[in-house]
Amino acid sequence: MLVTARLRPPDRTVEVADVRRVADLLASLEVLPGAVLVIRDGALLTSQDELHDGDRVEVRFAISGGG
Amino acid sequence: MAMRCKRCRGRAVMELRRHNAAFCRDCFLHYVGQQVTRAIAKYRMLGHTDRVLVAVSGGKDSLALWDLLLDLGYRADGLYLSLGIGAYSERSKAVCQEFAAARGATLLVHDLAGEHGYTIPEAAGQGGRSSCGVCGLSKRYVFNRAALDGGYDVVCTGHNLDDEAAVLFGNTLRWDTAAMARQFPVLEATRPGLVKKAKPLYRVAERETAGYCVLKGIDYVVEECPLVAGNTQMRHKETLNQMEEAAPGTKHTFLFGYLDRAAALLKVADVTELAECARCGMTTQAPDDPAEPPVCAFCRSKDRLVRSLPVVEGASR
Repeated sequence: MLVTARLRPPDRTVEVADVRRVADLLASLEVLPGAVLVIRDGALLTSQDELHDGDRVEVRFAISGGG
Repeated sequence: MAMRCKRCRGRAVMELRRHNAAFCRDCFLHYVGQQVTRAIAKYRMLGHTDRVLVAVSGGKDSLALWDLLLDLGYRADGLYLSLGIGAYSERSKAVCQEFAAARGATLLVHDLAGEHGYTIPEAAGQGGRSSCGVCGLSKRYVFNRAALDGGYDVVCTGHNLDDEAAVLFGNTLRWDTAAMARQFPVLEATRPGLVKKAKPLYRVAERETAGYCVLKGIDYVVEECPLVAGNTQMRHKETLNQMEEAAPGTKHTFLFGYLDRAAALLKVADVTELAECARCGMTTQAPDDPAEPPVCAFCRSKDRLVRSLPVVEGASR
């Protein structure tokens, strides 16, 4: 099972194997769940949502440094 | 098993660990609207007859705020300040213009180089302030001036819970009590030359404003400002997010505890005297030496920057 994750910003794409749920994907990417949104086909996913082989998801960081 | 919405038991799309809750699309949008309504009411930020100027950057927070205020029936115009950061600024302006057109809202566009003679990349490395420092100073000045000139009652900015917690964290680490005393969800126009400022998103986390934009289909600039890498506020946010991960609600408790229990004490202790800038007439801190003419931080910074830049034919420097 392989999931393609596009992380941004900055924009980069990685492939992650053997992740059943969004929480597993974020753990594998070493990304804090509270800092990102995970989007599949335009829809937001929660940490418990299941992933499927061939899924393409966006992991969008929600932290910005303005102020 | 998929998460369920705390309100309606439908399929959840946003998880809010600090509230031990998850919401479906509609209930999440309702939650965000409720948080903003509560913030506005608690600090009497706005009235429905007020003319409101929303400072928009093209990012998630300011566009979410503008969208929310319009949905809540406020008379809210937008103000975009072009900072001259190449393609990033061009894209940011286009996003704001597209949002305004889609909502049938009014957007004012100001340009730092055209009006004041410098861009933020030019400011980087010049004088004593960082590029983020000059950027923040320039924005505060232009927003206040534009609101005064345009007859607006209040300027709203998209500062969210994470921004406010990170600023408070930084100020606390330095025990900068003067800065802490001015960190409040609303700043009244205490004298002529100052416009009231409000932060209606201070109860909403930045992941929530991003989620709001995705769910409302608001196109925002996802890319980070190219000048912001490694800035202090980002480092503070990362530290707070690590703490939040271990103990959800940490940022909320830190900020709200300060606002409810400590802010008033610091406000009373803040005896900063204000004066009129001798150059531009805007309100500034009075100098320690009464014989010295008061010159605001913006005018001082602009002088330093414009002097350090090459003369450009026809530019208004």
